[in-house]
Amino acid sequence: MIEVKNIDKYFGTNHVLKNLSASFQASKINMIIGKSGSGKTVLLKSIIGLHIPEKGEIFFDNREFISAKLNFKREIRKEIGMVFQGGALFTSLSVEENVMFPLNMFSNMSKAEKQNRVDFCLERVNIKDANKLFPSELSGGMQKRVAIARAIALNPKYLFCDEPNSGLDPQTAILIDQLIKEITTEYGITTIINTHDMNSVMEIGDNINFIFEGENIWQGNRVEIFNSDCKELNDFVFASELYKKIKHNI
Amino acid sequence: MGAVLTLQVAINFVSPLIPRYLIGLSARDTFILEFSSTMVCLILAGKVGSNIASEVGTMRITEQIDALEIMGLNSASYLILPKIVAALITFPILSLLSTILGILGGFLIALSTDVVTVYDYIHGLHYAFVPFYVTYSIIKICFFSVIITSISAFQGYYTFGGALEVGKSSTKAVVYSIIVVLLFNLILTKLLLT
Repeated sequence: MIEVKNIDKYFGTNHVLKNLSASFQASKINMIIGKSGSGKTVLLKSIIGLHIPEKGEIFFDNREFISAKLNFKREIRKEIGMVFQGGALFTSLSVEENVMFPLNMFSNMSKAEKQNRVDFCLERVNIKDANKLFPSELSGGMQKRVAIARAIALNPKYLFCDEPNSGLDPQTAILIDQLIKEITTEYGITTIINTHDMNSVMEIGDNINFIFEGENIWQGNRVEIFNSDCKELNDFVFASELYKKIKHNI
Repeated sequence: MGAVLTLQVAINFVSPLIPRYLIGLSARDTFILEFSSTMVCLILAGKVGSNIASEVGTMRITEQIDALEIMGLNSASYLILPKIVAALITFPILSLLSTILGILGGFLIALSTDVVTVYDYIHGLHYAFVPFYVTYSIIKICFFSVIITSISAFQGYYTFGGALEVGKSSTKAVVYSIIVVLLFNLILTKLLLT
């Protein structure tokens, strides 16, 4: 379980996260939703330590992260897999080398074992015959899948995804969602997804946090979202005619 | 450059009181003392410095550096240290190569023109040779290689924004590297030669 307690984050005079608290359930898919500029990505990056909040605490299974020493932070980070918005694959490495990278850095596996693990991860994300290709030769969807394969290579306890569906067509987006859901369930990973794609939220979200102007103003599941009386949440979720109709029919 | 330098020195040495072998000596000392270290490093600051800044800067804006950090790696050490070590190995080799080619260029002028004889040129190369000048040159180029790679990597590492900022970082890397190289050239010369 990951807990965020009363964090504040400023960029200059811009108060981005305002005394924000949230909890993310273990072995579930936790979604962070909100409008663009609401502070979702800052929250995600604060949790994994890429931004340092000015105030507050973050616990990974009761292990405090913000004030931890750098070496301890690095140990926790080895338990984290991250899928970045753009994939963040190493452009100078092939698909296979990208997935093997964390294994080379942090595992004691033999070369054959690493190769087996890479093949398994790539097969798991349905990447075939692309081991020797470079990221620039892959489509957006394939890049995301390779990024997921790299993220799960070391069997992480926590998986973070920053807008995994951005820039993808609806069919590929659904495939990526299903893949994340399967991986979360199979390996018992605590997954946190940052998104504003309501289709993803409704498809796979177990625990949803709604961020509005730097504050976590609503937390619940995808059934409760339809019955919420939170105005800001309703304005966000039911912005489209389709979701208005769905709500009306429910 | 060796050929041009030899020609220019020979043309300007018009007094019969000045021995002709000084043409070879001036070519040798110019290359060892200044050209092979400072001038080559200024060229490398443009080529290697901009390359490092743009490569690391692109890794920053495409979140590849963040990905390294998330994996628990010290991204600065992982990305920058090998570049500094590589520069420490390759820059002196390039410097040596530039000295050899420069002196060879002067030799070709001596061979193919009558501005200086081959004998005078070679005599000048041997005359009053100070071995410490080579050590001085190597010390300078080692300093410059660390300066160029670290400044360029720093500029790339702290790039924030998009493609435009990568270009700006690359320009800054070259400008700052050149300024610091010239400054350290003065400091090292003062410390080592006076």
